[in-house]
Amino acid sequence: MALYTLDAGSVASGIKSRKFSAEEYIHQLLERIEKVEPKVNAFVTVNKEALDQARILDKKIRDGENAGSLAGVAIGVKDNICVQGIKTTCASRMLEGYVPPYDATVVKRLKDAGAIIIGKVNLDEFAMGSTTEFSRHGPTRNPWDIGRVPGGSSGGSAASVAALECAASLGSDTGGSVRCPASFCSAVGLKPTYGLVSRYGLVSYANSLEQIGPVGRTVADVVAVLNAIAGTDERDHTTAENVRPAYSLSERKGLRVGLVKEFLEGVDPAVAKIIHDAVDTLAGQGCKVEQVSLASVQYALASYYTIAMAEASSNLARYDNIRYGFDMTPEGYEWNTYFSKVRSNFGEEVKRRIIVGSYVLSSGYYGKYYLKAQQVRSLLKNELKTLFKHHDVLIGPTMPILPFKIGEKIDDPLKMYLVDIDTVVANLTGVPAMSVPAGFAGGLPVGLQIMADEFQEQMMLDAAYLFESAAKVQRSPEL
Amino acid sequence: MVTTEQIRHLGWLARIELSDSEIERYTSQIEEIIKYLDTLDTIPLKEIEPIVAKKKFSDLRPDEPAKFEGDALGTKYRKDGFVKGPRMV
Amino acid sequence: METKIGLEIHCQLTGAKSKLFCSCRCDYRGMEPNANTCPTCSGLPGTLPLLNKKAAEFAGMISLALGCRIPEEIAFYRKNYFYPDLPKNFQLTQYNAYGITSIGVDGRLEYGDGKSAGIRRVQLEEDPGRLVYESGSMETSVYTLIDYNRAGVPLVEIVTEPDFSDPKDVRLFLDKITSIMEHLGICDTKLEGSVRCDGNVSVGGGNRVEIKNVSSFADVEKALRYEITRQKTMVSRDIEVKSETRHWDDARKVTKESRTKEEEQDYRYFPEPDIPAVVLGEKFNLFARQSMPELPDARKERFISNYGLSAHVAQVLIDNKEMADFFESAVKTYQSPKEIANWIVTDLMSFVDERQKEDRSLFAGLKIGPEHIADLAKIVDQGVVNRATAKQILSQVVKTGEMPSQVAKRTHAGKIDDAGALSQAIDSVFQAEQAAVQDAKRNPNAANFLLGKVMQATKGRADPKAALEMIQQRLGS
Repeated sequence: MALYTLDAGSVASGIKSRKFSAEEYIHQLLERIEKVEPKVNAFVTVNKEALDQARILDKKIRDGENAGSLAGVAIGVKDNICVQGIKTTCASRMLEGYVPPYDATVVKRLKDAGAIIIGKVNLDEFAMGSTTEFSRHGPTRNPWDIGRVPGGSSGGSAASVAALECAASLGSDTGGSVRCPASFCSAVGLKPTYGLVSRYGLVSYANSLEQIGPVGRTVADVVAVLNAIAGTDERDHTTAENVRPAYSLSERKGLRVGLVKEFLEGVDPAVAKIIHDAVDTLAGQGCKVEQVSLASVQYALASYYTIAMAEASSNLARYDNIRYGFDMTPEGYEWNTYFSKVRSNFGEEVKRRIIVGSYVLSSGYYGKYYLKAQQVRSLLKNELKTLFKHHDVLIGPTMPILPFKIGEKIDDPLKMYLVDIDTVVANLTGVPAMSVPAGFAGGLPVGLQIMADEFQEQMMLDAAYLFESAAKVQRSPEL
Repeated sequence: MVTTEQIRHLGWLARIELSDSEIERYTSQIEEIIKYLDTLDTIPLKEIEPIVAKKKFSDLRPDEPAKFEGDALGTKYRKDGFVKGPRMV
Repeated sequence: METKIGLEIHCQLTGAKSKLFCSCRCDYRGMEPNANTCPTCSGLPGTLPLLNKKAAEFAGMISLALGCRIPEEIAFYRKNYFYPDLPKNFQLTQYNAYGITSIGVDGRLEYGDGKSAGIRRVQLEEDPGRLVYESGSMETSVYTLIDYNRAGVPLVEIVTEPDFSDPKDVRLFLDKITSIMEHLGICDTKLEGSVRCDGNVSVGGGNRVEIKNVSSFADVEKALRYEITRQKTMVSRDIEVKSETRHWDDARKVTKESRTKEEEQDYRYFPEPDIPAVVLGEKFNLFARQSMPELPDARKERFISNYGLSAHVAQVLIDNKEMADFFESAVKTYQSPKEIANWIVTDLMSFVDERQKEDRSLFAGLKIGPEHIADLAKIVDQGVVNRATAKQILSQVVKTGEMPSQVAKRTHAGKIDDAGALSQAIDSVFQAEQAAVQDAKRNPNAANFLLGKVMQATKGRADPKAALEMIQQRLGS
């Protein structure tokens, strides 16, 4: 039996009912990883202890102990989320040898639920990018066409799931970084409401925008992982108080759906066609779909990049190579020279964003850029609130284009930024958003984005589940 | 108009050593990006309050000391327990 | 020439148990380097700041004690700059340029003789780590040793308006601040490095110079005097005073141009996204007022009205909390407040050397407690010894710790006022000093000489009043 093709739910129940052992399952996965990695390059580090951890779990089950809701499920963790004892590199030279002395809260919660961290997966350096091409470990490739990008920055998270190298994975979403690769790789990827999932242990890029989110092959798997990681964390004061959610898969009739017309403007016609087919599918399932407008979307990208780069320029200041980093002794250097020299080892995209971020925060510019960008967030939030009064969810394409060739956009930063146009709204306003596979155009995946109001994940998941059951889109390629 | 002088100064502010070719390249790229961000200027946003997340005073962390079990600083560049850094002058 | 001085005072909240944003201990002194660190205060990737509730309470109390207004909400900002003692290469602090976020604004503190200074703001911020130089000096060390034990310790910064014109007044003000901190139990000013003070000085409306690196309040006065002289000299020679930051050189007692090229620093302030705005509200104000211990001014008023002390004596007592506590403890044992207050303020203080007064640990070297002074006051009140003898007993007691009444009993130091014994003493003196007696019969003032002899003969134990009366009677007859 090809255990590595199983979804998370089947893995957990199979292991707990002893249909197969965790050891067998992990063993197969490690073989699978070895087989496809030369083509996909999703992993930065494979967990050497995974097999041992599987054996320990099997013993626990034999002894009749409670094994957890995700018993034995292999999960890939984006390499900007701290796992104690395993290198966390953020795909950067600046964290080349760094081994965190603590687990991120989400990692601890997964471990408590019995999951096995199978490895750390690839990303754009410090989560800055939309293609996973800005990585020191080489680009991750799209399992559907290895000459193309898998999306980013959580490219490794989505590609590993699509390539059957793990059952689910964790990514981080600052401007679309979970949803974009999910869309490009025909996976389900979810960004929770800001404050639903703890960021303790997530290496900060833009702290007022980002959330950790699950990627899986089915809505059910994403729900299972979300239930394990979500909820108030006393280690993160930006998490909402007194929240301990338990989402389910439910049938909901008569959903009121709004199709955001701005999200379809300038979109690749092949993508637009698939989205219109999706609308038909939803209508066929009893949903009421109508077109709506979110006028301030035109300012969203400028607002997003202002805030993201400003916060990044400050969040990345701590990388001075003294407490963690790569091998370059400080002896013989004056401190300004040392700092400047080591920090020249950031990748180009990261350096560019730090410079722009410093620019928009510098003396005299605060009102012009940062403050204005924050006001745009309010504007968008108010417009969304109005729309959510009459609609349960809002939809559109996750990405305006199909997955493009590796190297195609890498020399034009601004062109690269424009692909985020549909996803940044959710980060700016804090509302939850997810991408569900909607179909293929010329063999390349297209994702449908579903957004709901703050803390209305259940509503959003209902819509996703409804669509998934009706659309039945293929989740993993032949590799 | 973003100038190479500005980029050089920002490189200093951010403590990132930039080569001459990098400064050339970044200047034009960043100028394009800033021009794009300048569109924020066109929005009349005077009355809108930025959203601020709030926390109740009672939900703050209680003042209880706790030792971190583990080595926060690792063994990179240490001497007698101190962290070794570059000289100050 | 008009002199303007403003102050920036930093006080560590040594009364807190943990750091401002993590649970490491607040009392780091004496620990091995980097033994008091965690991922958060070391600035490790992925860590988040968690604001200490007690620190916010303490800062609120300080704001109220300084007459400040506390806003509805407080927030934190990032002050971005690079330095090896700053784990994140930004400092978490408070900032009011885009709206009030600091814990106190617009206060005023009276510090004596009807003088007062405006308090611009009170804010919370974190302390950086410590840099240590193996060779002993920053200039000659080939590398720098960094200790993060102190990084993240909570600080309250108090910024005054430039309302001072005389360094003496600054000293009085700082003493008042110290007294308040002691009474609130928030900052133990005796601990090394727990308080620091920077000053801003300008003369004749010229440029402002910032003086940094003054590590004790006593030095502040010296540094200000030096700087004012320096500036006035320059002005008198028509040389423009540059707007700059100067460092106080403690060894040579001068202010020096700052060695590190401090160009216009662009701190790129923006609100800390990981700390939501904290809603304080009216409840916090009430709570802070209720939990606040008695402030020095209120205590002084109470000393005057309840104990009948003079304003001057009350002031001396409350200027140092240790003394005020000592006084109240003694009065609890024996109810003679005026007597006890005088013994403390005059006689006991003469045994405390200047250095201890500076360190503010008054009674450290003395083996004396409130019960000793209470006992001393008792035996004087009861007439067991006279004042002169009591002073002698005190000088012994501070060294041995023996109770004064014991010393009196042991050395038969009891006052002689029993008429018979006195009479005997006077008889023997009159016999020995017949010439003086004749003198005194003509000149009454000469009786004092005879009194002196009687005191000598009785080893000071005679009651001088009774003895003089008796002598004058004898002379009259």
